[in-house]
Amino acid sequence: MSSNTPVAIDVCNVTKRFKLSNNAGSLKTAVLDLIRKREQQTFTALNDVSFKVHKGETLGLIGANGAGKSTMLSIIAGTMYPTIGHVTHTGTISSLLELGAGFHPDLTGRENVLLYGSIMGISREDMRKKFDAIVDFSGLKDFIEQPVRFYSSGMYVRLGFAVAVQVDPEILLVDEVLAVGDADFQRKCLDKMDEFKSKGKSMLIISHDMHTIRSISDRIAYLDHGVLKGIGSPNEMAAQYGAATINGKNGDAKREWGTGEARIASAKLVDSCGKPISAVSDDQQLYFELEYDAPERIETPTFGFSITDEAGRTVFGSNTEIEGFDLPYIKGKGKLMLKVDAKVLRSGNYMMSFSLHNRNHTINYHRLENHIPIYLPTAIGFDGMCKLPVEWN
Amino acid sequence: MNLVKQLFQRRELLLILVQRNLKIRYKNSALGFLWSLLTPALMILMYACFAKILKFSDGADYLPFLVAGIVIWQFTAGCMNDSLQAIVGNTNLVKKVAFPRIILPLSTAFANGVNFLLTLIVLIVYLMLAGVFSYTNIYWLIPAVIMQLMLCIGICCICSVSNVFFRDTEHIIGIGSLAWFFLSPVFYRIPMQTSAVTSVLGLSEASQFQGIVFLNPMTGILGLYRAALMENQLPVPVGVSLWWLFASAGVCLALFIAGLIAIHKGDKSFGDVL
Repeated sequence: MSSNTPVAIDVCNVTKRFKLSNNAGSLKTAVLDLIRKREQQTFTALNDVSFKVHKGETLGLIGANGAGKSTMLSIIAGTMYPTIGHVTHTGTISSLLELGAGFHPDLTGRENVLLYGSIMGISREDMRKKFDAIVDFSGLKDFIEQPVRFYSSGMYVRLGFAVAVQVDPEILLVDEVLAVGDADFQRKCLDKMDEFKSKGKSMLIISHDMHTIRSISDRIAYLDHGVLKGIGSPNEMAAQYGAATINGKNGDAKREWGTGEARIASAKLVDSCGKPISAVSDDQQLYFELEYDAPERIETPTFGFSITDEAGRTVFGSNTEIEGFDLPYIKGKGKLMLKVDAKVLRSGNYMMSFSLHNRNHTINYHRLENHIPIYLPTAIGFDGMCKLPVEWN
Repeated sequence: MNLVKQLFQRRELLLILVQRNLKIRYKNSALGFLWSLLTPALMILMYACFAKILKFSDGADYLPFLVAGIVIWQFTAGCMNDSLQAIVGNTNLVKKVAFPRIILPLSTAFANGVNFLLTLIVLIVYLMLAGVFSYTNIYWLIPAVIMQLMLCIGICCICSVSNVFFRDTEHIIGIGSLAWFFLSPVFYRIPMQTSAVTSVLGLSEASQFQGIVFLNPMTGILGLYRAALMENQLPVPVGVSLWWLFASAGVCLALFIAGLIAIHKGDKSFGDVL
């Protein structure tokens, strides 16, 4: 996105603090606070966040729970105000935040649709014209005259989404809506978002589904505890986020141990030319550069590696011995190149571990556990953990 | 000015929310909207029965006087009551969509207003049947309606905002509205109220501050309505200057403006607190 494309959303040094109180919303606390002039405890949900969304661009917002994503969206939607900083936007905003949230259970589907439309600022005239399309899209033709309290949660969401997209805003805010609904409905949503994109409208999306958000976003912003950690290409940010989650989840998952007679001095993800990189390219060819350091001569050493997924399961592991790459000995410093074709693995976050041991595994010289987080970006769809070669006749 | 423009742009939303408030009130009831007419009619019947049995009377027109007072009072009381939920009860909307928040208390006030209009029709029919209806002074209705509408909008705004920040509001309103009811000339007449207040305050009978009861806006409003609809009723008691009506009107205006300020001030924090 070039810098002279018009800006749709401009988030400028936004800081949001919430007041913390044990007994919020009581007159007693308010009066006591006033008398005591007590310092209010605050919680900083967003800390000096700035970014721009250009016209026609789709920006994904990722981060762990409590990172401030939803607060950010609320501020952009105008339902919350930043403590410091400001947000400006051009064009109408429609938000898919908790779909169907504004529905009143006692009103019928039809009444709720009209209400929702008018809340979004659509005239009743326009809403009547769009009504049939909304009902068609939601697939709730038979239930539209029923009070929505008789709806299932899925029906609720479908109707909410149908209204929100038919409103046809300039900017669409989407908060984790793809988590609900069946596969068919999700497909419909994604199609609608693609259509939206192709019309040159801007979107801001929150999702924990890395695969979806990566495929639909032009850029991704990564929030961590209210701080914008980075904004950039989807692959790069997904890798950064993946690394942070795995490290965060397993405490210090990154460990190393061994006798130390020989060491793997460094292990780096590189490209095919040997240049260090941070994100795996789309072809999922993994290249690693290992540097070893053996002060003493080590006979028949074996270098091994393993790939584990987010759940900690070993997806694949191998070593120089298995692959028939025999090293008679090592002495001093040296380098090894490892190439792994990970085309068959499905998209997601993985961890690379490396080890250096002797041939019959009795001595473990050095092991780097969960040393490099990688994100595999493949877009090939299939079920399961890896793509096996398949032939139909 | 900006607010008026915004409201004009979102007038359909206001209309739909008023409709919604009215619809929900009678949703799932067999008689539906008929209740708006049936409730006041039954209420009048009930008061008539008890007034007869208990023989509490203050002149021949006491029952119509009392019924008119109660109908008018209920508009204000209804607004106070419903406004508690105007914002809190629409948390989902407030948290998800940006729109002028004043629409929420405003729709509560208007929905109650529509209801009041229907009740007013029942009241007029009743006054006709009771033979005390008079339209010679019907023009008093104009200041009466304007004042009560301003008062109700003001109250709705203040109570709805206050209930967002202090849930105690609910309890305060419950007891406060009862106190206000007794302080207003609903079941007693203004002269009685005037003499009671002057004696409490130690004012002389001839004091020019006799009209001080009109600082309660409901005193002026009730006086005006009764003067507009009923025979032989004056908006202010004999010996009190008509100018005191401006005291009531002034308080209505002050509460109206206070309501607008409350909404404006509260707006920025609704999203955080709800």
